Amino acid sequence: MTIYNIYIFDRLGTLLYYMEWNRQKQSGMSKEEEAKLMYGMLFSIKSFVSKISPHDPKQGLLCYKTNKYALHYYESLTGIKFILNTDISVKNVRDLLQQLYKDIFVEYVVKNTECEMGQPIVSELFQNKLDQFIKQQQKILQ
Amino acid sequence: MSAEDVLFDMLHAEIVSYMVSKDSKTEDEDLSMLEHLGYSCGWRLIERITKELPRYKEELEILKFICTDFWSCVYKKQVDNLRTNHQGVYVLQDNEFRFLNKLSNGTQYLKEAPKYATFTSGLIRGALENFGIASIVTVEINRMPSCKFHVHVQQSS
Repeated sequence: MTIYNIYIFDRLGTLLYYMEWNRQKQSGMSKEEEAKLMYGMLFSIKSFVSKISPHDPKQGLLCYKTNKYALHYYESLTGIKFILNTDISVKNVRDLLQQLYKDIFVEYVVKNTECEMGQPIVSELFQNKLDQFIKQQQKILQ
Repeated sequence: MSAEDVLFDMLHAEIVSYMVSKDSKTEDEDLSMLEHLGYSCGWRLIERITKELPRYKEELEILKFICTDFWSCVYKKQVDNLRTNHQGVYVLQDNEFRFLNKLSNGTQYLKEAPKYATFTSGLIRGALENFGIASIVTVEINRMPSCKFHVHVQQSS
């Protein structure tokens, strides 16, 4: 299993954090632009999904797949969005993202009073923990 | 960690930021209000914890009590290391200090760190004061989340 990269957005679409591990092809634009594009696309897909759904969607958008990669989407009740790109063989990413939100984001961002909400995350502790967490998951799921 | 602990952490963080922003007119951060807050909390808290305990005689015994029972009561853990020169100077070291362990595990935010330990240094001073030991407590932070509290006992003349 390979994890390519992660985006964390807040409720208003600010890119809080971006990190990549095994990303071979770059998009050829700046990170800010790419993040805007990503957020815009997700925003559109989300509204599309909720409009087109034949039933009342409980969870809404969960993931999409191409033949090369899969994008997993998790949104907390407060609107924090976690986007994880992996290869297509990966399963149970939802639990992983939930755990990431609960154990890493809440612990080291929300409880860190030096981190201002709505601002990009600069805490090194958070970055280390996230990196550790992802690398550990990669090992387990191999 | 239970909900009450989180509540205490958050309230503490808010008090710190409130106190610091109030004094931000001056260049130096004035943390004396925060220290005083800790002082009165410690003073009252020790009254409550010790109501069923036998009397301690020695200074060292009291300091040990602070490191074990008192610390577990407030921070749910004991002080990791207590050192003394037997001349009224004690160093209490907590390697996993609760108000710092979400902040950093290195030297990031080192400048902001002392304000998170001020309440606790007041807490120690207030507790000792109520035991009849006048002291000065200072804080030393080199590498988070480890935190050292230096207690200088004032010799009564």
